[in-house]
Amino acid sequence: MALPKEVYKALKDIVGSENISDDPALLDSYRYSLAHTAIHLGPYYDTFTPRGAAVLLPGSTGEVQAIVRLCNEHKIKFKASSTFWSAQGYPSEDDTIQLDMRRMDRILEIDERNMFAVVEPGVIGATLQAEAMKVGLNTHIAGSGCSCSVLAGATSYFGSGPSNLYGGWHYENLLGAEWVMPTGDLFRIGSLGSGCGWFCGEGPGPSMRGIARGFLGAKGAMGVFTKCAIKLFAWPGPESLPVEGTVPAYRVSLPDNFRAYTVAFPSWKAWADAAYLIWDTGIGYLAHRQFNMFGRELKYAMVKILTDPSKTLGDLEELLEDPEVQRVTEASKRDFQIVLAGMTPRDLAWQERAFDEILARTAGWKVEAMNQPDVADWSLLYLLRLGHKNLNLVFGGSYDGCFGLLGTADYGTTHVEESGQLKKEWEEQGAVVQAGGDCTMGPIGGQGGGGTCLWENFTCFDPYERESVEGTRALFDAATKLGLARGWGVGMEKWNAQCRGPDGRTTPKEERDRIHLSAPQPSVFRYQHKIRRAFNPNDLGDAYYETLDDEAD
Amino acid sequence: MPLEDFAAEMDRCSQCSYCKWIPFDQVRSWRFAKNCPSVSYYNFNSYSARGRYAVARSLIRGQSGYSDTVRDIVFTCMTCGSCDVSCKVCRYNLEPLEMVRELKFRLVEDGQGLEAHRAIIQSLDREQNTMQRPRSGRGDWADGLDVRRLASEKGKVLFHAGCRLSYDEDLQQSARAAVDLFRKAGVDVGIMGEQEMCCGGRIYAMGYREEFARFARANMAAWARAGVETIVTSCADGYHAFKRLYPQLGSGVQVLHTVEFLARLIQEKKIVFRLEVPMTVTYHDPCHLGRQGEPYVPWDGVEKKIKGQIVVYEPERPRYNGAWGVYDPPREILRSIPGVELVEMERIREYSWCCGAGGGVREAYPEYSQWTAGERISEAIATGAEALVTACPWCERNFQDAAGTMGEPMQVYDLVELVQKAV
Amino acid sequence: MNAKKARLAEIVGPDHVIDDPGIGESFTLDRTVRPAKRPSFKVRPKTVEQVREIVLWANETLTPLVPVSSGAPHLRGDTLPSVPEAVIVDLAGMKRILKIDRRNRLALLEPGVTYSQLQPELQKEGLRVIMPLLPRANKSVIASLLEREPPMSPRYQWNLLEPLRSLEIVWGNGDRFYSGSGTFRGEREEDWQQGLVPVQGPGPGQLDFYKFVSAAQGSMGIVTWASVKCEVHPEFRKLFLVPGERLADLIDFTYRLLRFRFGDELFLVNDACLAYILAQDEDKAVSLRNSLPPWTAVVGITGGQVLPREKVQARQQDIQELAQQSGLTLASALRGCHEGELQALLLNASAEPYWKLRYKGGAQEIFFLSTLDRAAGYVATMQAAAGEQQYPISDIGIYVQPVHQGVGCHCEFILPFDRGSQAESVRTEALFRDASHRLFGQKAFFSRPYGIWADMVYGADERTKMVTQKVKDIFDPNHLLNPGKLCF
Ligand SMILES: Cc1cc2nc3c(=O)[nH]c(=O)nc-3n(C[C@H](O)[C@@H](O)[C@H](O)COP(=O)(O)OP(=O)(O)OC[C@H]3O[C@@H](n4cnc5c(N)ncnc54)[C@H](O)[C@@H]3O)c2cc1C
Ligand code: SF4
Ligand code: SF4
Repeated sequence: MALPKEVYKALKDIVGSENISDDPALLDSYRYSLAHTAIHLGPYYDTFTPRGAAVLLPGSTGEVQAIVRLCNEHKIKFKASSTFWSAQGYPSEDDTIQLDMRRMDRILEIDERNMFAVVEPGVIGATLQAEAMKVGLNTHIAGSGCSCSVLAGATSYFGSGPSNLYGGWHYENLLGAEWVMPTGDLFRIGSLGSGCGWFCGEGPGPSMRGIARGFLGAKGAMGVFTKCAIKLFAWPGPESLPVEGTVPAYRVSLPDNFRAYTVAFPSWKAWADAAYLIWDTGIGYLAHRQFNMFGRELKYAMVKILTDPSKTLGDLEELLEDPEVQRVTEASKRDFQIVLAGMTPRDLAWQERAFDEILARTAGWKVEAMNQPDVADWSLLYLLRLGHKNLNLVFGGSYDGCFGLLGTADYGTTHVEESGQLKKEWEEQGAVVQAGGDCTMGPIGGQGGGGTCLWENFTCFDPYERESVEGTRALFDAATKLGLARGWGVGMEKWNAQCRGPDGRTTPKEERDRIHLSAPQPSVFRYQHKIRRAFNPNDLGDAYYETLDDEAD
Repeated sequence: MPLEDFAAEMDRCSQCSYCKWIPFDQVRSWRFAKNCPSVSYYNFNSYSARGRYAVARSLIRGQSGYSDTVRDIVFTCMTCGSCDVSCKVCRYNLEPLEMVRELKFRLVEDGQGLEAHRAIIQSLDREQNTMQRPRSGRGDWADGLDVRRLASEKGKVLFHAGCRLSYDEDLQQSARAAVDLFRKAGVDVGIMGEQEMCCGGRIYAMGYREEFARFARANMAAWARAGVETIVTSCADGYHAFKRLYPQLGSGVQVLHTVEFLARLIQEKKIVFRLEVPMTVTYHDPCHLGRQGEPYVPWDGVEKKIKGQIVVYEPERPRYNGAWGVYDPPREILRSIPGVELVEMERIREYSWCCGAGGGVREAYPEYSQWTAGERISEAIATGAEALVTACPWCERNFQDAAGTMGEPMQVYDLVELVQKAV
Repeated sequence: MNAKKARLAEIVGPDHVIDDPGIGESFTLDRTVRPAKRPSFKVRPKTVEQVREIVLWANETLTPLVPVSSGAPHLRGDTLPSVPEAVIVDLAGMKRILKIDRRNRLALLEPGVTYSQLQPELQKEGLRVIMPLLPRANKSVIASLLEREPPMSPRYQWNLLEPLRSLEIVWGNGDRFYSGSGTFRGEREEDWQQGLVPVQGPGPGQLDFYKFVSAAQGSMGIVTWASVKCEVHPEFRKLFLVPGERLADLIDFTYRLLRFRFGDELFLVNDACLAYILAQDEDKAVSLRNSLPPWTAVVGITGGQVLPREKVQARQQDIQELAQQSGLTLASALRGCHEGELQALLLNASAEPYWKLRYKGGAQEIFFLSTLDRAAGYVATMQAAAGEQQYPISDIGIYVQPVHQGVGCHCEFILPFDRGSQAESVRTEALFRDASHRLFGQKAFFSRPYGIWADMVYGADERTKMVTQKVKDIFDPNHLLNPGKLCF
């Protein structure tokens, strides 16, 4: 439905005519397919998020405030997104205004000594990292990759990725922030509010950052973040990445203080032992089980394709027949990737020795084929920049994760094999890519210093084929069932089912209530309800901010 | 391939927005990380490859209809192909550039072409050039050149000047220079002179497929009549048309860009530099010579699935992702000219930023076209170079105009001019 | 009154209700403007159930509660009731270490557990917890972490609340709640075995519940246990002293260490501060102050788990080189301070009397967060203010503690004074007020706003105040937890 004329005009007056549109075709480029990517609720064939009422491209905090105030005046829902790679950034209800934050894309400051940057929503991991590297710093990049907004990951969603281990996950890295609250009021969080700069996100007193960002963020349902400060960390490498190679097999050859290893272990217990030893010893710049996302059986063949510009997916079957590929595949079943970065030559020497000792104690090994210079240099670049995340979708165009066991290294390693087994059985039916069941990937260190991991089992399918989409959903239903039966809880395949339903719109209240009431601690959502009522009085957000009202029991 | 046949791609586009940036591995700064002029200028998602997939889907499913906005969305695409390169860093089963071309064809077929383009087409029909100038003046650039006219004589090697060089008095001296250099190197090169016709590449990029085919066939016939085996051109658009599009209509002539030919002649010592050209320069890779300059590989196959849901092709489909474009010959030439120091911009080779003259944009959206060129001028300035060198008259024109408007002293050259200065 | 007492006795047992406990010895100068009110009772609950019942009862009777976990002396006035007829909820008796999980490096503690109690137990398991600088012997670990007291080792602080993780909270409305992954509280041994442990701090969900009780001075909820992340107990450790004439001389070096995350303990102290740490009495403090270098960076190196010796060696050499590059030297002894002696002190809680009080019996603290590059400016401001108030500049102890891996730093000025002397008290108070405002004007962030600082920061930041009040209304709707503090 169109916005009332006078409202549209008022919005146009705020942002300028070139930064607003309600053209139906243009609006349709702001709809997300529910047969797609990391939506964590379906997938559902040929279903899209609802069309927005208008799209606006605000250019300043003042404009955002004016828009939000106007929305309050007219009780119009709005949803801001910065880089638009997940369904949660799109409207869930009719007549919602979509804010595309892309024009606010400045890096306002990089404080070299105090190691933080101040960014606007449109700044992505790649650009911030490139600028930080010029002054010997680096930024954490969420697992979704460097195409994503730094601010979105830090303020509004999860923000976990391979460099959690050393770089801290974005929850931890978020410092001061500027937030246009759902009412349009401006809240400068932390030291910023006291006029003391960006360096601290907590306080004064009880940290009110807690209403804006918990374990997860508000996913665009509670106002708009317009700036934030992000903690950076040391980059002991060159000012820019000396990239070589032919597209897409780019690789980087860095000075001798970097190592990128793929290592594997004889058992999951040994794998977990290694993770604990790495954390206890305090080594590693980033660590991730990365390339297993292609699947236990396909990963090395895929690496062969990706590191050779003359190869394509069409070469996959032949590669899988290659005895050498088979040997490496077998040797890297229970693997992960780790990058060591020495702040000094001595530091690297010590880390290397300590890492070798860890491998010796756990009977682990370096997967030599992965550590050949060209492959290791490709892997190093991949992991540092995280600029190939669209490979998640390389096979059939869609992927979503299932299970997503989240917890200590012992927890996931206890159950990963069983979850993979279930998936393998379903793979045989043909709806999803047959990749070996265990396509789990995730960080070795879910937060700074380690301590937790995530096992997301990648499931790749074709969004264009109904059978594939529906077969994937059947697999996900089975995954949820197994998760509940085993006490793992509902897996990430349904993480957002309480927010958006099969029709792409807000999940009906009864269903939301049912899900929230079955949570280990329903009061979490009751408090969120109270906070939402207090700070979003006109309820101008969608159900991605999860609530349970007093009536529900 | 009809637009409807891209329906699978429209669904399989992963909405990752990689098509809005240069390949991320190559990002060296905040300032020069973007790749797609249209989304960089207009900002709405729909102005990117990703968005155009979504708009196309909306249109073919009848969810929306044509409007000024839709026309802008479609025709502001430069068809520069930068999105295509970035997309294919990770994807093997999408062709975003092909899709957007098809979208333009569809709009034109449905009578939704732009007025500015239609005027060009009308004039083209009459005058056989895209410059809206009289046909009779086409050969004037070569007045006085001692070169064989292949419209009336036979010859194996044809130099195709193209519309821009034929009519743009400021630039055409580089066409003369090219012919001169070839001749001096002992190449028996000819031209079509007044009989030369538009290659059709630019109208193809505006969405006029039928008109393009007409011109292609006419050109191919003229070449056949003259016995042409090799065609050389200094125009990247023309190069692309001859190299990638004509073979689809049956052309078998060898196609060389002037820089390829010159590089070869320099290597064979048939061109020898005697003079120093003391100058720090940077080189702009024209889209149609660089990432779109890969050779055509015929393919007639179908999609199939392996391992359940992995989308591949039977037989294997050629992959155009900019890996094998023409990047090194111009650089080799520059490095071989005494005194020239080549400094690179951040966005080069397959991830070069477009000059802003492509896809009919220069003709229909002059401000945006100039902004695009201005971005490149800024990037060139950031290298410290005194001159921006390119290998396409369309790029050269757009850069000269933008530098002029910006009041920047950046000199703009065709590579041939530097070669000529040094011999 | 008797009915109240009877009900409290019913909840915690008659032995654990103390009548008219007095306001205790107060060290804050703030008191002159905000005189503490005598509490009616002190109760000593032993279980979360008792705590919950007390809070529910307080809501029924609208009785103010002041939660306390640590023993005296209380320096900051946060545990002094601001309203009459409050009940002190003394959690010091909840002293159980509920679990030490070596593999996941977690300790589950009740609020009465002190550093002195915890560290030896952790050590038996090969663990330790990073500590603030010389906490009082009876300082509750949880209280210290909730107060966001800075630990000496910034490198382990991936966020400002580290090493605090999951909590059990009884909110002001009486609701019992688990923050972080506190629902996995390991009541069943098999949960610990399979790694279902309270390892997360944030959340759960989209709110960050533990942030609401941090630096809240007990005004949001009462924490009845917390999980704390531990570090490996180092097999090898070394401590180095890096002297400097001026604070500015040491800043560059400190930044270099922070950049590389070299150094375990890492902080800067002036001569007076180091003297107060080392000296057992007033005379010794004075003589030490005179012999110590004006500034000292204290750098600890530790090595545990895999190849600890090699690590310590590598770090020592690297740090030595970094010091040289900054024109500094690593020393193991200064005139008046030996590394071994200092290390022994730093690894433990403060001996009695509490180190900040040793010199003059009283001390006023001024502390805040900022960035390291501004620290020298604050020192100048403080010294100028002291000069104007005729407070002896040489008495000011200064402690600069990098936090959150170096993004910021805690700056602390310790102003010793003789509480017996009216003149000294008045002078110190005047300095305290004046300096606090001046420093705030220079971007000193009073992130833990005790006493007058609360008016100062909330007065300057209406939005934060409004937000904080709304959150208070949700978790403690009757405003019963420690009323009169912060902005409520
Ligand atoms: C393929 C894929 C892989 C992923 N992997 C990971 C992963 O490993 N780790 C991880 O943490 N996440 C992951 N995610 C999820 C996450 O959403 C990421 O996509 C990313 O962190 C956010 O980028 P985005 O482009 O989705 O952001 P956006 O589309 O900008 O938005 C993300 C959310 O934040 C909100 N938001 C964005 N900007 C603002 C703003 N200025 N103010 C208020 N709200 C705002 C949006 O409404 C939305 O709810 C993945 C997603 C995909 C599609
Ligand atoms: S071809 Fe060029 S202008 Fe068109 S969408 Fe791709 S990058 Fe953008
Ligand atoms: S066109 Fe390619 S790069 Fe762009 S969003 Fe789609 S898949 Fe990604």
